[in-house]
Amino acid sequence: MKVSYSSDEERFREEVRKWFEENTPPDVKDQTLGGSTLEHDLMFKWHKTLYEKGWISPEFPKEMGGAGFSETEQFIFNYEYSHCGAPRLKTKLVSLGMLAPLLLQHGTKEQQDRFIPDMLSGKTIWCQGFSEPNAGSDLASLNLKAVPEGNYFVLNGQKTWTSMADHADWIFLLVRTDSSGKKQEGISFLLADLKTPGITIRPIEALTDHAPFCEVFFDDVRVPRENLVGKMGEGWKLAGALLQHERLNAFPVGELIYAIETVRKNSEKTIYRGKPLMQDPVFRRKLAALEVDCNSLLYTFFRILSQLKVGSAPGPEASFLKVYGSELYRRVMDLNIEAVGPYGQSWYNLEEFDNSIHQATMGWINSASLTIWGGSSEIQRTVIATQVLKLPRK
Amino acid sequence: MDFELSSEHLSLKESVASFVKKDHSFDRLRTLRNDPLGYSKEVWKKMAELGWMGLIYPEEYGGLELDFAFVMVLLEEFGRGLLPEPWISNVLLGGNLVLMGGSESQKHEVLPGVVSGDLMITAAYLEDDGRYDINFCATSAEQRGDAYFISGKKIFVLDGLSADRFVVSTRTSGSVADKDGITLFMVSSHDAGVKITPLKTMDGRNACIMELRDVSVSGSNVIGEVGRGYPLLSEAIDQATAGICAEMVGGMKSSLDLTVAYLSERTQFGKPIGTFQTPQHKTADMFIQKELAVSSVYYAIASIDEKTDERALAVSIAKAKCSSAYIEITKAAVQLFGAIGFTNEGDIGFFLRRAKVSEILFGDTDYHLDRYTRLSGY
Ligand SMILES: Cc1cc2nc3c(=O)[nH]c(=O)nc-3n(C[C@H](O)[C@H](O)[C@H](O)COP(=O)(O)OP(=O)(O)OC[C@H]3O[C@@H](n4cnc5c(N)ncnc54)[C@H](O)[C@@H]3O)c2cc1C
Repeated sequence: MKVSYSSDEERFREEVRKWFEENTPPDVKDQTLGGSTLEHDLMFKWHKTLYEKGWISPEFPKEMGGAGFSETEQFIFNYEYSHCGAPRLKTKLVSLGMLAPLLLQHGTKEQQDRFIPDMLSGKTIWCQGFSEPNAGSDLASLNLKAVPEGNYFVLNGQKTWTSMADHADWIFLLVRTDSSGKKQEGISFLLADLKTPGITIRPIEALTDHAPFCEVFFDDVRVPRENLVGKMGEGWKLAGALLQHERLNAFPVGELIYAIETVRKNSEKTIYRGKPLMQDPVFRRKLAALEVDCNSLLYTFFRILSQLKVGSAPGPEASFLKVYGSELYRRVMDLNIEAVGPYGQSWYNLEEFDNSIHQATMGWINSASLTIWGGSSEIQRTVIATQVLKLPRK
Repeated sequence: MDFELSSEHLSLKESVASFVKKDHSFDRLRTLRNDPLGYSKEVWKKMAELGWMGLIYPEEYGGLELDFAFVMVLLEEFGRGLLPEPWISNVLLGGNLVLMGGSESQKHEVLPGVVSGDLMITAAYLEDDGRYDINFCATSAEQRGDAYFISGKKIFVLDGLSADRFVVSTRTSGSVADKDGITLFMVSSHDAGVKITPLKTMDGRNACIMELRDVSVSGSNVIGEVGRGYPLLSEAIDQATAGICAEMVGGMKSSLDLTVAYLSERTQFGKPIGTFQTPQHKTADMFIQKELAVSSVYYAIASIDEKTDERALAVSIAKAKCSSAYIEITKAAVQLFGAIGFTNEGDIGFFLRRAKVSEILFGDTDYHLDRYTRLSGY
């Protein structure tokens, strides 16, 4: 048992922290909490900066263009990244975070060579086409049809909630290639160029007033057979493997700590009854309670990292990181908006105020989505109850 | 004890409900979000023609002189549909202050216009660093000869963008957080030295920042007595707070209804999601919170009607309860709708936005809990 990093790890941490402090552009830093409203141009530019530094993918091996960091270094890196106020990079979340590791395990050599370098450089942006109007939590009931025809699959149907589809170049898809057996069995995993004729994309406006996601329609879309990942009918298994890659980073704990620090800053700025709100005993208690919870979560990450070091990777039990992290984050956003007082009701015309107000209101609204995507809290709790605690299923 | 609505109450309820259904829709809210005012002047005029602005005002100013429970009935229906028209600010704040503290000539000058819907009036009383305290007042009114010169800044003036008149709280004596020494003035939006900065709130309605730089007003613009503005302001804000609680209750009811309907029709895993226990328990909790909130509002409204000493206490109980209940209910509702709940295309998200603004208006949960402790003497 030991609570500090080794001297090498500490040195690494200093280096990373210093680099982010010095190199994160102000218009990228301190952007809206919850991370998803950074302008796309800025996001691409920031992607490129990280790529040039060799840090776009901490987990990838060096020879593949990644940073080749160890698990602990990855954790430190991700922590320092979000702790400096830099938002999640949607240009890499699904490509490098999910698809690339999957292609390394299950893709052909051609697929790896063809797609992965462009994901790293940011030349190709990917989006994730899983959900459909009638297949959300119940993903296996998806219905987008892909019928083999010569060297092609012909696709007809629809995806929805596809994040960034309007800014992406490619989409990875779960499609139905067989509807005769169990619904999980007829699903395949395909890669499609979004410029293929027959694809129509319609952005959907969220409560943030931005359009983070889209509907994607497929009308006789021809996708070459070589874009099939794995075998026909293996899609469900591959999707499971892909979602596993979200595991440890499902909720960036550095982002939480950064959010807590934002609350603290705001409560020092807000004056109430002649004193900073921070000195109000009730407010202090609330903040302390959140900090206790955040720290316990942080220590849990440390504990899981130690398990990883000795090679016992957490399985479904890591589900709780996402549920708890996202719900805790929402509580932090509640307190953050409370900290700014009457200003918390504002929305437009925010030029009048400093960025912390915008962060508070937008971050609060945005946090409502965290408990929905990537497996809603309800679904994750069921996973914990049935797969971890082995409670009987109905 | 009588927590039941009379047949007159019920008939108002019916007519407001059918108005909201006919003249209002969530699509209207979608459009109005992009409009600086955030409400429609035509709808406002129609509401005035129905007599609703004069609901609680004496007949001599064109009002119907009904009891305060009618306010609850009206606002609950507004809240059900999230009607964005500025009824609370005009009738319960601006107009009410004139009614409660104004001279006869002030009342005759202002109230008929409020009742007909032609004169817009609100109250400007919140300031930076005061959070929700209405006694916190740094805006000064200095007497020079016959006139007063007002300087200061008011924030989040409710519906301030469309207001012709403002009842502004100023300090004529005492120190910044004293209750004595606050004087209310009626100021016009076009008075020299008034600067209005438009704001939009999260739910798409309007507010403004009002800056006053040496604005000269005559002594005849004082509402009530010099230095005695606080009790008036406090009572008007209590009534407005009870009003918004009623509106919040309407919002809670709609949020629950919409959610129950959605859970009954949305199918996943081959069944309506309303058949799964978690969504069932979540909606059951929504129901419990809603019921408690309703009762707290009844009590507050009755305390106002009967002018009991408990008014302030009852209002704080209601606002603290409604704030937490409305937020909890709308959060759960959005969650249960899944991704569609997180969009502007779905209707349920409007309630989440409105819940946040309502929670903040007239003081959030903590503010009212704190006020409760002080009023209870511990
Ligand atoms: C911001 C955002 C970005 C997204 N990005 C993407 C993307 O890039 N690609 C993609 O494919 N998808 C994306 N999604 C979709 C996301 O994965 C789905 O929203 C999610 O799977 C839930 O599905 P649903 O919205 O259809 O809700 P539903 O499945 O209809 O669920 C509605 C509610 O019912 C609950 N529920 C459902 N079934 C059960 C049950 N058996 N027991 C208990 N409760 C249940 C849910 O928890 C939820 O609260 C995104 C969503 C959001 C909000």
